[in-house]
Amino acid sequence: KIYLKLFSLLFLGVGKSCLLLQFTDKRFQPVHDLTIGVEFGARMITIDGKQIKLQIWDTAGQESFRSITRSYYRGAAGALLVYDITRRDTFNHLTTWLEDARQHSNSNMVIMLIGNKSDLESRREVKKEEGEAFAREHGLIFMETSAKTASNVEEAFINTAKEIYEKIQEGVFDINNEANGIKIGPQHAATNATLAGNQGGQQAGGGCC
Amino acid sequence: EYEEKTGRAHRPLSPKQNVRKNLDFEPLSTTALILEDRPANLPAKPAEEAQKHRQQYEEMVVQAKKRELKEAQKRKKQLEERCKLEDSIGNAVVTWNNEILPNWETMCCSRKVRELWWQGIPPSVRGKVWSLAIGNELNITHELYDICLARAKEKWRSRSTVGAEGECEDAGFSAADREASLELIKLDISRTFPNLCIFQQGGPYHDTLHSILGAYTCYRPDVGYVQGMSFIAAVLILNLDTADAFIAFSNLLNKPCQMAFFRVDHGLMLTYFAAFEVFFEENLPKLFAHFKKNNLTPDIYLIDWIFTLYSKSLPLDLACRVWDVFCRDGEEFLFRTALGILKLFEDILTKMDFIHIAQFLTKLPEDLPSEEFFTSIAAIQMQSRNKKWAQV
Repeated sequence: KIYLKLFSLLFLGVGKSCLLLQFTDKRFQPVHDLTIGVEFGARMITIDGKQIKLQIWDTAGQESFRSITRSYYRGAAGALLVYDITRRDTFNHLTTWLEDARQHSNSNMVIMLIGNKSDLESRREVKKEEGEAFAREHGLIFMETSAKTASNVEEAFINTAKEIYEKIQEGVFDINNEANGIKIGPQHAATNATLAGNQGGQQAGGGCC
Repeated sequence: EYEEKTGRAHRPLSPKQNVRKNLDFEPLSTTALILEDRPANLPAKPAEEAQKHRQQYEEMVVQAKKRELKEAQKRKKQLEERCKLEDSIGNAVVTWNNEILPNWETMCCSRKVRELWWQGIPPSVRGKVWSLAIGNELNITHELYDICLARAKEKWRSRSTVGAEGECEDAGFSAADREASLELIKLDISRTFPNLCIFQQGGPYHDTLHSILGAYTCYRPDVGYVQGMSFIAAVLILNLDTADAFIAFSNLLNKPCQMAFFRVDHGLMLTYFAAFEVFFEENLPKLFAHFKKNNLTPDIYLIDWIFTLYSKSLPLDLACRVWDVFCRDGEEFLFRTALGILKLFEDILTKMDFIHIAQFLTKLPEDLPSEEFFTSIAAIQMQSRNKKWAQV
């Protein structure tokens, strides 16, 4: 059983919290609660026959909270960098956020670039090719999603986890260091998700989903 | 009751039940049916059967009356209790209005007042008491509010005429971001107490909330709008007139703890968290150890609680009572409340792991029992090795 800590980053109103809610609860809520500080989501997925528990930290989007958000980068195995395809300004800020994330996280952190709100094609301001080009240039994985229609939401989270999983297989991550956001639990724990997997004080546990 | 109903429906039919079974005859109101004779196309009821039915019917009526009486008594008792509660609130209102408020300076610290204060301030005087307790160190006048508001309105206007293309263009990490907060306010107002439906676009307090937050960004451009403020302003609006709400809002945010948080002074916030942990360990050592083991740091739950002064995480009436005592005791009470919450749910929390605790504390149950909650807060000692909060 593998525990992964993921992050969602970036702007206000791009639908970070909505993406998370769609992934963990499979529902869409147009007016989402304000996130102040950090909120949490969790879900169990299976990759390559291995049970993987994703723990997602949904962080506040306002600039002012960046000094707080920064302290959460560390200890994350992956991050979701989200912009809104109907708002060019959110795309224009990616570089600054990316630099900030790279600077304050461990160097192996997998970053997924997400262009959200793909259901609003008529209001699109950022072309898909632009997102792809940005991702290529900075070595990120890229996807366009819609939290509203659930399109690609599942894939975005799972692909991020896959990429991390592959890195683990390649031995890139030091899995004994919890600061990397990865924790390998005992084999048998996976069979019973309702038993809170609380071995050795790791940061994730039993299935709540 | 169901049996009685069906019994009532079927009994008159019993002798001929077999014949009528497939008629799907289901009378809704049976009273008339029981007392009436059978339809003309059927043989008449024998006298003794009719007598029996009448008797059964009367018995049912007696039972029903008894039940009604019982319910009436229960209702009366509830009403009496409510009246008693209202009386005590009414009495409290009189005491606050006639005795305490006119002699605020001399009385506000007396034991009797402090005790009455702990019980919760009656809603009709709440705003006044908050205003007095928060004070107006900044000497803000209604005129100053008008000026700030006018300036904010000017900004909104110029923003909408300059055009949307430059909206957040240079919001980056510079001071220009603070300007962008005017845009952000709009977005957040719709997410402030969405269930109340009074702050949203078209709601009665939408413009008021917008005005106060806008005026504040002009009054304190160095702080600007920070998420969480909309909740504080909203609670004040519910209890005070607009200009007074602005005065209370600005003075409240000017308090050291609020300033540290709203300026997101990370170092100072960490100091607060560290002090909180001292009292956490002192009061709830078992839970503290459990949190430590799970790497659950106080920032995870305290940030939301302190930024919104519990108005987002607690039911509104409870949040107001927390505000009452916060106005009396100051920042210390915010942390005491946090410990009260942890104490109240100690048993559940010790059985949870990181993610469940984090999710639980960032979304507290909606049906928090108010009396137990305040008893739990009262049980928290804000003294550690003879040191008080301020000293720690």
